[in-house]
Amino acid sequence: MQFIRVNMSAQTVRVEDVPRDYVGLGGRGLTSIMINNEVPPTCDPLGPENKLIFAPGLLSGTSLVNTSRISIGAKSPLTGTIKESNAGGTVAAALGKLGITAIIVEGLAPQGKLFNLIIDQNGNAVLQAADDFKGMRTYALVERLLQDHGEKNGVLCIGPAGEYQLASASIQTSDVDGRPCRAAGRGGLGAVMGVKGIKAIVISRQGKNPDAIADPESFKESAKVFAKAVKDHPFSGQMLGALGTAGLVSAVNSIGAFPSYNATKGVFEGWKKISGEVLAETIQKRGGQTTHMGCSQCIIRCSNVFVDEGGKYVTASLEYETIWSMGGMPGIDDLDVIARLDFLSDDIGLDTINTGVAIGVAMDAGYKEFGDGQAAIELMEEIAKGTEIGKVLGNGPAAVGKHFNHHRVPVVKGQSIAAYDPRGMQGNGVTYATSPMGADHTAGNLVGAYLGGVLNPLEAEGQVKASRKAQIAMASLDCTGLCMLAGAALAAPDVSEALLKMINAKLGTQLGADDIPALGIRVLKAELEFNRNAGFTSKDDRLAKFFYEEPLPPHNKVFVVTDEDLDSTFDFE
Amino acid sequence: MKIRVKLFGTLPQRYPGYDASQGLEVEIPDGAKVKELLARLKIFASDGGLVVIDNLVVQHDDALKEGVSVRIFQSAFGG
Repeated sequence: MQFIRVNMSAQTVRVEDVPRDYVGLGGRGLTSIMINNEVPPTCDPLGPENKLIFAPGLLSGTSLVNTSRISIGAKSPLTGTIKESNAGGTVAAALGKLGITAIIVEGLAPQGKLFNLIIDQNGNAVLQAADDFKGMRTYALVERLLQDHGEKNGVLCIGPAGEYQLASASIQTSDVDGRPCRAAGRGGLGAVMGVKGIKAIVISRQGKNPDAIADPESFKESAKVFAKAVKDHPFSGQMLGALGTAGLVSAVNSIGAFPSYNATKGVFEGWKKISGEVLAETIQKRGGQTTHMGCSQCIIRCSNVFVDEGGKYVTASLEYETIWSMGGMPGIDDLDVIARLDFLSDDIGLDTINTGVAIGVAMDAGYKEFGDGQAAIELMEEIAKGTEIGKVLGNGPAAVGKHFNHHRVPVVKGQSIAAYDPRGMQGNGVTYATSPMGADHTAGNLVGAYLGGVLNPLEAEGQVKASRKAQIAMASLDCTGLCMLAGAALAAPDVSEALLKMINAKLGTQLGADDIPALGIRVLKAELEFNRNAGFTSKDDRLAKFFYEEPLPPHNKVFVVTDEDLDSTFDFE
Repeated sequence: MKIRVKLFGTLPQRYPGYDASQGLEVEIPDGAKVKELLARLKIFASDGGLVVIDNLVVQHDDALKEGVSVRIFQSAFGG
């Protein structure tokens, strides 16, 4: 249970025991509560007072399956709010096995200076000058770092976008194959890493010093129950392994909620060419991998390896949100182009969602034609080069809208919505509007309720309550390091009980069933408090105006949840 | 009556020779319910069995009408 505090102003590294106030916290719970305690809410996100915190989940580094999410938190340069963005890959398990509860990066390196932070198998951390790595894209960077430090390392890194401090810059993480294809994309946290002067963090995957488990037998027993439930669930055990998250393309188009052509249509005419079914068929035919393990200890295997017609690697993993942001939004119905855009996002270090939507807004404003895949690829290269238009695009859809004076910008608090239109899935609109993170589907996605037929997606009734429940559940889940895709199994009471038992077995606590949502509420309250102190009010918890005014075909609905109802989302009692 | 059914996810693999562009034509009694169609196709609760007609999710107790086009998905939660 140790913190590694890195001061970039003095270039010092200090290891300390986790202070009592933070014991028992992990993942988003730790990053958000620490930021609320230690970061001045009105600070400049790109200034010395902001902190960038990397925290594996409470259960990362244990034997439990699918616990490889790393939470990364800071005040966001994109939204101005508190931000937690989490990613898969290998680093969360690596940190857990080293007994490292968090890496906290403070201060700013001298302008123009770059460093790598290297953490060895004993948990010793050093900063190394990385001026030679300046400007490198992430694939070449990670290849070289793994050559220099050995393959049994995980890497967190930024590309050129992070070095330019663009508001859509991601932090990329390496997968089990050593490719930087997993991303903490949302909120522009790559820009915070860039301004602090860290190009990469290299973490040994050979640690043998995880935190002790208070009751190992109980943990092991419950871990087996959980793993079996993940395997037996039709979503995590069948669908995701076969089609990945791309399986949602057909379903969401079929209910008219797939925002297309910059959110002017709810069904994309070309969806049958970019569906999960066609993706799997294409990959299979070309000799890629439809089922692939991307993250440590994953048994779901939702990842895939997309190859070109010659069988050569293009990208891993092509997922639902990216197929939407790089496909539906700019009107591109060619999987090869979408895969290339996904690779470029990872390589340049960009959030695929914010960047695809930025391109969609630019096309809607008339800068390029909808559907012009070659133009989209060229725009990505403009971002990589750091040209004037490249910087506008790399700062996201709100910056693009302002640049072209275009009104239709699908953002909340400056951050793009995801692949569910709030007019076709009203409750996801509630989550976008009210989440302390800006528009973010992972804060409380209700697509399962709509497809399961338990909630009408087009009416106001029930949406706020459902979003509240989902946001609390996600805030709790994000503390554990568990993948949200494994979370589908938690609907069964014996599985949620197994999770509670594992948390108690790990920490030596006696938490009850009510303590899990209570943890989520505690995290949300810390995040909301930070945002209030940063100057945000309920007036910021609104969707972009066009969602209230422009009906979305085929249902021809606008967003109908009232402001008063939105403002009751976090009435917890 | 005849119903045109299109299958998604891993469901098509259960029907050798399934043609995604054509789907299946299924004959069921007039006024049959969605759950009877699912039973005919051997799609069970454990598969999810989400049924969409005209851009709307329908309930398993809803009655089907002649000539409708039905899409059937497995359960899905988020991506």
